[in-house]
Amino acid sequence: MDRIARQISFFAPAAVMSAWGTVMLRTIATGHINRLLSPMFRNYVLTAALLLFVLSALYVLLYQPDSETAPAPAPTGRLRQFGRWLVLLVPLVAASILSPSALSSTTLTNRSSTAGVAPMPSWNAASQKNAQAALDADPNQPVPVEVTDLITLSRSPDQMKAFEGRKVRTVGLLVNQPENAPKLVRWIMWCCAADAQPASVELGGNVSGNWKEDQWLEVVGAAQFPSTLGHVAPRIEVESIKPTQEPDEPYLSP
Amino acid sequence: MFFAAFDLPSAPASAGISWPDVALSFFAIVLEGAPFLLLGAIISGLVDVFLPAGMIKDWLPRSKTQGVFAAIGAGLIFPLCECGAMPIVQRLIRKGVPPAVATTYMLAAPGLNPLAMFSTFLAFRNQDPWLMVVLRFGFSFLVLLFLGFWLVRLRPDYMLRAETVMGSARAKPEMTPNPGLVLTPRPGQSLGGLQQFTGSVIRDFTGVLLFLVIGAAAAALFSTGFNRSLLAPVGQNLILGPLAGILLAQLLCLCSTTDAFIIAAFAPFSIPAKIAFLVAGPLIDLKLYWLYRSAFQARFVHALWLRALAATFLLTLLYSLKP
Repeated sequence: MDRIARQISFFAPAAVMSAWGTVMLRTIATGHINRLLSPMFRNYVLTAALLLFVLSALYVLLYQPDSETAPAPAPTGRLRQFGRWLVLLVPLVAASILSPSALSSTTLTNRSSTAGVAPMPSWNAASQKNAQAALDADPNQPVPVEVTDLITLSRSPDQMKAFEGRKVRTVGLLVNQPENAPKLVRWIMWCCAADAQPASVELGGNVSGNWKEDQWLEVVGAAQFPSTLGHVAPRIEVESIKPTQEPDEPYLSP
Repeated sequence: MFFAAFDLPSAPASAGISWPDVALSFFAIVLEGAPFLLLGAIISGLVDVFLPAGMIKDWLPRSKTQGVFAAIGAGLIFPLCECGAMPIVQRLIRKGVPPAVATTYMLAAPGLNPLAMFSTFLAFRNQDPWLMVVLRFGFSFLVLLFLGFWLVRLRPDYMLRAETVMGSARAKPEMTPNPGLVLTPRPGQSLGGLQQFTGSVIRDFTGVLLFLVIGAAAAALFSTGFNRSLLAPVGQNLILGPLAGILLAQLLCLCSTTDAFIIAAFAPFSIPAKIAFLVAGPLIDLKLYWLYRSAFQARFVHALWLRALAATFLLTLLYSLKP
């Protein structure tokens, strides 16, 4: 019995590190990492996974189980150590299995700074470039825009005026909040999903359909910029709406 | 003014909590933090093998006061994230660096480093960025000075866990992180340096990882389940605003290079509330509390928590109440 316990104690560190490496590699291979981390951190996870496998191999090669002549640790000490390995292993594996594909509308409500959504920071150079490209596009065709592009446009009175009524095509998650118009939401991620902030546009017009909460939808409609008490909130007057696949990058980068 | 400060509008009710979202946030935090923790453990292992204790002591200033300034200066120059810092700081203490100096560096590096200041400037580009950078840097510096001069008066055995106390990690495995991990070298191996390095990295990584997992769970729970709008009504309040900023920082547990972007977009908060958020968060929060517990005694971490937050509150309150 003591011999088995010694063997388990010996192999536990290598098993835990290999499990972490495996979970990391699986997360990368399945693309689930796109829902968790911003692009700049993904290579770090890959490197860490490979290093953990190397460390596990080195550990097994360079160390050995405690000798049987050595004094056996107290049963409570061994149990405590076993518990430590389980704390390292179980939450990680459980989270890798249970974590959903997107943050829900419950979290959207919790993370919004007001009853609506957090404003997009206006320092976003890429979004300003996209907004200008949308202004320059053919006015007779639906312009592909992100939710954040419409918010960026709404920060500039001149651009907003020039873009009012233009037909746009955009993708996002549907969120129905009680006593509010339905919204099309995209999450903006700085480092990881834990710091993601929602950005959204209101949907008006014909939004009827058997759409589920948090479903990915593609919306075509006219961009509008109604103002309430001086606050402009972009809105799409919907012409057509249909389900669509989750984008390869479900989060927008700031 | 006093009554105005407590004139609280009603706050919206909480939306509840989504447990799958907590799992998603937890998974994201540990995946983001683990590579930096591993990097910290590798640097710690290199320090263990290649840096003699005497050499580090020779580099350090002799006086404690100079040591505090040197630690804050090192925090300015060497950017180090919160997760990566823990194994390195523990190793430096075991190599003979005074705990007060190592701890001051640990507190200074995340908040004062140039990356945090640059991200603050970017995030507040349309909201008086230089004022925010100067206030964040200045208040962080003052709080760190206060904490540094408190730390130098403390005995190491009051601050440190038994396993972090100075001494040879190899001779006394029970006095190291992850004390239950027994490393028995294979006989006849001629790779002494590699063996020592591997043992150090595994011990440090698995030892601190446990606390990262616990801290990430707390951070995921509150960053997902806490309704930020609950603090919005007091965000402009002269007295409660800074308190709300500090509380939000404790619950959201953001990295110091990200926090400015989140709080810049949080319109309901006043400037003092935002500065309180930016100063308090990198010093200590719910995640860092658990990471600090990997090296320090609980009573010390509680005292540090109290002092860090009280000093931040007093400074931001003075700024808030200025004529």
